[in-house]
Amino acid sequence: MGIKRPKALILRASGTNCDLETKNAFDIVGFHSEIVHINEFISRKKSILDYDAIAIPGGFSYGDDISAGKIFAIRIKSLKEDFKKFIEDKRPLIGICNGFQVLVKTGFLPEDPSYRQRATLYLNDCGHFVCKWVKMRINKKSKCIWTQKIDCDFYLPVAHGEGKFIAPKNILDYISKNNMDAIKYIENPNGSINDIAGITNEYGNVLGLMPHPERAFFGILKPGFYDKKYYIGYEFFRNARDYLRF
Amino acid sequence: MKRNPTRTEIETIAQTWSEHCKHKTFNSPVELSLIKNGKRKIIRFKNLFKETIVYATEKLNKKYCLSVFKDNAGIIEFDKNYGLCFKVETHNHPSAIEPYGGAETGVGGVIRDILGVGLGAKPILNTDNFCFAYPNKKYNLKKSFLTPHKIVNGVVEGVRDYGNKVGIPTVCGSVSFDDCYFYNPLVYVGCVGIIPKDCIEKKVEPGSFVFVIGGLTGKDGIGGATFSSADITEDTSSSHVQIGNAIVEKKVIDVILEARDEKLYTAITDCGAGGFSSAVGELAKDCGVCVNLEKVLLKDKEIKPWQIWLSESQERMVLVVPPKNIDRLIEICKKNDCNYYIIGEFTNDGKLTVKYNNYTVCDIDMEFLHKGIIKIKRKAIYKYPSMKNSFKKIKKSDIYDRFKSVISDLNVASKRWIIEQYDHEVIGQSVLKPFCSKNQSVPTDACVIWPSQCIGDFNLEKGFAVSHGINPRIAKISPYDMAFYCIDEAVRNIICVGADIKRAAMLDNFCSANPNKKTIMGEFVMAALGARDLAIKYSIPFISGKDSFYNQTRIGRKEYSIPTTLLISMIAPIENVRKIITSDFKSENNPIYVIGRFLKGLGGSIYSYIFEKRNNFITSIDVSQNLKVYERVKKAMDLGYIISAHDVSDGGFVCAISEMSFGGIGFNVKIDDIVKKYNVSDIEVLFGECGSKIIVEVDKNFQKDFENLFKGIPFVKIGYTIKDRIVFNDIFDVSIEEVRDLWELKGLKH
Repeated sequence: MGIKRPKALILRASGTNCDLETKNAFDIVGFHSEIVHINEFISRKKSILDYDAIAIPGGFSYGDDISAGKIFAIRIKSLKEDFKKFIEDKRPLIGICNGFQVLVKTGFLPEDPSYRQRATLYLNDCGHFVCKWVKMRINKKSKCIWTQKIDCDFYLPVAHGEGKFIAPKNILDYISKNNMDAIKYIENPNGSINDIAGITNEYGNVLGLMPHPERAFFGILKPGFYDKKYYIGYEFFRNARDYLRF
Repeated sequence: MKRNPTRTEIETIAQTWSEHCKHKTFNSPVELSLIKNGKRKIIRFKNLFKETIVYATEKLNKKYCLSVFKDNAGIIEFDKNYGLCFKVETHNHPSAIEPYGGAETGVGGVIRDILGVGLGAKPILNTDNFCFAYPNKKYNLKKSFLTPHKIVNGVVEGVRDYGNKVGIPTVCGSVSFDDCYFYNPLVYVGCVGIIPKDCIEKKVEPGSFVFVIGGLTGKDGIGGATFSSADITEDTSSSHVQIGNAIVEKKVIDVILEARDEKLYTAITDCGAGGFSSAVGELAKDCGVCVNLEKVLLKDKEIKPWQIWLSESQERMVLVVPPKNIDRLIEICKKNDCNYYIIGEFTNDGKLTVKYNNYTVCDIDMEFLHKGIIKIKRKAIYKYPSMKNSFKKIKKSDIYDRFKSVISDLNVASKRWIIEQYDHEVIGQSVLKPFCSKNQSVPTDACVIWPSQCIGDFNLEKGFAVSHGINPRIAKISPYDMAFYCIDEAVRNIICVGADIKRAAMLDNFCSANPNKKTIMGEFVMAALGARDLAIKYSIPFISGKDSFYNQTRIGRKEYSIPTTLLISMIAPIENVRKIITSDFKSENNPIYVIGRFLKGLGGSIYSYIFEKRNNFITSIDVSQNLKVYERVKKAMDLGYIISAHDVSDGGFVCAISEMSFGGIGFNVKIDDIVKKYNVSDIEVLFGECGSKIIVEVDKNFQKDFENLFKGIPFVKIGYTIKDRIVFNDIFDVSIEEVRDLWELKGLKH
């Protein structure tokens, strides 16, 4: 591909609230990124196909009414054809926290040919919202383009009320057999089945995860301090840039 | 005026002149009789507020204060381009009767205060401070009142759901438990915003439109401002409380920040207490306005014109928009799915004209509305308390059991059960969060924010810290000393993380009961005087504040009042966020010191609450030296001598030093030298809460340098850091884990 300064779309809806830090993360690693409201795409003023990468950031889209990410997912599905093309083009797509909930509820993850929802993110075992840094690791066999070259155990902050990944057994088997469980908790904060923190699709260009790499971007933000400028979150975004550059 | 006023006019005046909107009690003339040893002294104030809080700020005249007491929030300088705005509100009355809704709308309201400062600041940090009765204790309760347990949970959930959804981190605060808040809980909510310096001034020009964005208008919360200024009784209805919607607020924030950067409006304010009547009335104060109420978008068609005018429906902001910018602003609203309605036009006739379908329902001169208020002269009495410092001597072997009770008292114990429900990471700027150390187990003294994401400069070194001071137990003993203790605690908290107190500013939030009672007014005046005196001594100005009276409940003939409770919230810039100090012990074999004098008295301590109920003896803080001590601490931090620091507060020295070990590095200390040096008993050393003390860990390579730097300042070397254990020589020796589990309330359910 070899794109010098790839364009990233930070797709927001009413209630999205991690758009700014997600945009900054993309910009720092070398993207040119834009925060755009979904209304601009539904009204066809803009097209998602004009971007090289898309992030659906965290937040409480449409108040998480009905269930987390559900309404945003329904609105995204009105752009189904464009998203299908985007994913089939193997362009990077990441859904963080509420964005992951959206990707699951659109049926983009776990990937389903007719975009039926195959799994869900359910209320945490403790019954309420939890915010803390938790230990996790990458599944090194995963083909996920976002998590390449990250090898040690690390901490990322989670901040969600509905983050427990659940799915029928055949889906769980499909995920683990294909190493699509890209990120796994070492300290499981929500009761997620098989300690799943994030999953990818078969090719590896789409990643959905509950923890927030954009909030663990700078070393200074890690509890107990980390004296380098960037912490592990940086590598997720750099991977996407490297994937598009080479 | 030669006619009878209309309903709308009466209500407009009632709201505008209510305690909630005008703070007429604090601004009134007061005559205080001070009684000490049977002698009476009279002190007269023409305007209590101007002669206490404002006096301190004006006397200090700090250049870094950019806006004080006039706008929705105070503003101080952050750097050459930006200012920091800070506002704290109380939402006590609504939270007492409908905790979830009360807390939620409290958070929503204070965020809109920040959005309405100057031309709108970006809200980046929420704070919350609560005073409750113990949720785990049985009280003899009147049926129609909510239990403390329900109030605590409701308030926490309200703050959580609103703050998290609107995308502003809740990073710092406090929770105090005391029996006196049984009927009247206190809920303080605060918000910090960041604002470009060229957006501080508002301008309202005739011909501009009254442009409302956000929520629709309904009957919810009518009369909220007047209700907040009355007793709660068994008959108080929850219909006074408004209903919040965080996502509507988020849309409002998105629209405002986009429109502000395009300079589409010239002034802005929030629709708070009093609804349109206060917001529009305030904006049009110097020119005039004509409003057409039929243009208001309603959620409830069965509503009378005066109710539309006064409704406190949430999430509404009023913008002053020149005609040429209307189209672009509407475009931004539409893109963000945000409601908007234009309800009138600013004029130059100096009148507040309100019409409904061309029928005039209100016609008042602005001059009368804003200056016609009649001031009531108040009387106050304050009698100095007699104090007693009696306590039983206890055996050394019994101390550990008492320590167990103190460290697991809800005031001292970990607030993790609340804090983890708040998103304190959103925006990716929280350098120091509620817990520090690698295992996130050591409580921090203040939060530190690095606003690089909002400014867009990732080489930014600067940040700022926010801390609090509140002390209900000393409030009950001596309100003047309470103010000292609150300010001093906030200062020590902010010093402990390495912030610059030479550029600090603070907010005063007073809560009190019925000011018509002389003794209560007396408490209030003493607290205000204490705040004034220490502000001047520490050279830290007030930039904003608020007072909430009538926190009392009448049951039959008995009235339950809260003691006058002051919350001090402090904000101070930090030169380099990479160099902040945290409270967790860093490594083994470093010497540990306590800086500051230990004072006599167990009054106001958790220990006396549990074991010595009648001990009310406190020693006033010796402030003559404190400022010098704090400056020296800062210097020792900058030089790298001090590597961790924690202030001594609830639970006393023994609890503070234990907290520092929860990251995994323990300590071995003895208290004999403290007992000898300050002539206090061992119980007072361990559990007393009098005096301004800071515990520090010093890098062992700089021990000599540290001691030289602190010559002439009271300090004692008490021991050194070790592995895994908490050791008080001759008293107890336990594992860190055991104490941490007690503090974390392991095994207890909430």
